[in-house]
Amino acid sequence: MFDKILIANRGEIALRIQRACKELGVATVAVHSTADADAMHVRLADESVCIGAAPAKSSYLNIPQIVAACEITGADAVHPGYGFLSENARFAEILEEHEIAFIGPTSEHIRIMGDKIEAKATAVKLGIPVVPGSPGPVRDLDEGRKIANEIGYPILVKAAAGGGGRGMKVANNETELELAISTAKTEAMVSFGDDTVYLEKYLGHPRHIEIQVLGDGQGRAIHLGERDCSIQRRHQKLWEEALSPALNANERARIGEVVAEAMRKLQYRGVGTVEFLYENGEFFFIEMNTRLQVEHTVTEMVTGIDLVIEQIRIASGAPLSLTQEEIQFNGHAIECRINAENPRTFRPSPGKITHFHPPGGLGVRVDSGAYAGYTIPPYYDSMIGKLIVHARNRNECLMRLKRALGEFVVDGIETTIPLFIALIQEPDIVNGTYDIHWLEDHLARG
Amino acid sequence: MMGEEREPPMTAKKSGDFDKDLIRELAELLEETGLTEIEIEIEGRRVRVARGAKAAASFAPDPGHAAPPSPRESGSRGRKGEDASHPGTVPSPMVGTAYRSAEPGTTPFIEVGTKVTAGQTLLIIEAMKTMNQIPSPHAGTVLAILFDDGQPVEYGEPLVIVERG
Repeated sequence: MFDKILIANRGEIALRIQRACKELGVATVAVHSTADADAMHVRLADESVCIGAAPAKSSYLNIPQIVAACEITGADAVHPGYGFLSENARFAEILEEHEIAFIGPTSEHIRIMGDKIEAKATAVKLGIPVVPGSPGPVRDLDEGRKIANEIGYPILVKAAAGGGGRGMKVANNETELELAISTAKTEAMVSFGDDTVYLEKYLGHPRHIEIQVLGDGQGRAIHLGERDCSIQRRHQKLWEEALSPALNANERARIGEVVAEAMRKLQYRGVGTVEFLYENGEFFFIEMNTRLQVEHTVTEMVTGIDLVIEQIRIASGAPLSLTQEEIQFNGHAIECRINAENPRTFRPSPGKITHFHPPGGLGVRVDSGAYAGYTIPPYYDSMIGKLIVHARNRNECLMRLKRALGEFVVDGIETTIPLFIALIQEPDIVNGTYDIHWLEDHLARG
Repeated sequence: MMGEEREPPMTAKKSGDFDKDLIRELAELLEETGLTEIEIEIEGRRVRVARGAKAAASFAPDPGHAAPPSPRESGSRGRKGEDASHPGTVPSPMVGTAYRSAEPGTTPFIEVGTKVTAGQTLLIIEAMKTMNQIPSPHAGTVLAILFDDGQPVEYGEPLVIVERG
């Protein structure tokens, strides 16, 4: 096992990783920007190092400073959390060169899955079902037309380097295709400096369902069931459930095994998530996240497995501590992301939290670095915490969530809590009958 | 390190059947040699003896304390009552290990009282196996040196006070 882990992140996830380290008896080093000197992840760490000025580029994304912080503290491993450097293949490589362990997959796997076209080609090779589309980049309109006619409309034009919804256009017919390709190319060039685009079949009302995997890097891998993250706004997940209200045990076992087998072939190391669109009983690969995810908590609640501890153990060279047969799913869990945002306009609301009272009681978990008197810096993500609720079944879970949301007090700033209190009254939420467009449609209706 | 199977340190710390004499002997050795840490492993058992204050690479505030430290307090380990808010303070531009001279045993770049010109090297910070010369931002006289030779420093930590003039 490692002696000392440097956590190259901030906020609730830095705290989450510290908890796992402490339970493993591993010392922790927090790194922070000048804006985060009094953050909870800094206050609770065994040691801390200020690595730069407030902008993430100067601190949390500053590779030389983070490596230097490992050197002066003697940390022998780095946990990147999510976001920031967690999917930066170069960072993983540099750490390797400095003989510091990167708690994550190999730099090669990060690189493959970070490139949308290569990721899709790899998924096909590994036997993961994908959305029908162009086999590679679409060079011109003629090629685009030919492929679109083979797949059938509607067609989605996507930027290869894209993300967060930018560089994505829908074409309902051949006439619309020309404009869709040219605008997607322009947007992609402006946003990512790369105008490579490809085509995919556009799914009308899919759910977002993702499979959690755990591999040891030596060809053994298991799945931990799925999460349903269909409640999104502008491709940002807000509400996540495990297990999905849309899948039955047979479907779960089938897709889970397909993904686990793919990870065995890939010899994937650590935790990872394979994301799918799900429509009419069929799964279509979107992408693979080669890191811990924000919503990993709901999987932990229904399986009882600490994913971060497993991730650290695997990175230290230990084998998987579990077999597929040992994975049991108990009850239902829902996570709500508490963002410092106006619950209707979603405008960020940084500022000072004057009162903070997290809910408690059986089956209620709050992962957050917030506290009364904490000032949310304006430089980073607006998420200030996550409310996770677990119960024996989905109905009890919804009642418990309603109760917990009612207890949650965050004064001084605006949060998304009122949004969730409203959502829980909606029949579609109660019945679990929603798709990835549901929230935006609902908000548009007012 | 990777692949190495060890008991978590917690187990080692908690078990009370360690040889107290051995630990005492190691502690004495620590004093004698001036080292900050000694770690030995005998038959799969690990003993590490470390001296706290100087080895601590950084500042870990007490989580139970009501008032969080201000950025300046947490960044500053300024000693001898020196005021880190002095306008001539030179903060560390990077994380690394600070050295007073170019090589061990050679003359330090500056002493208290040294007159320096703008751009003159005050110290060296080693980071990622590179030596970075830290220049004086202005001409003046060295009023205080706030770090020890070989001390780990963090971003923004006050290193030297150079009074203008």
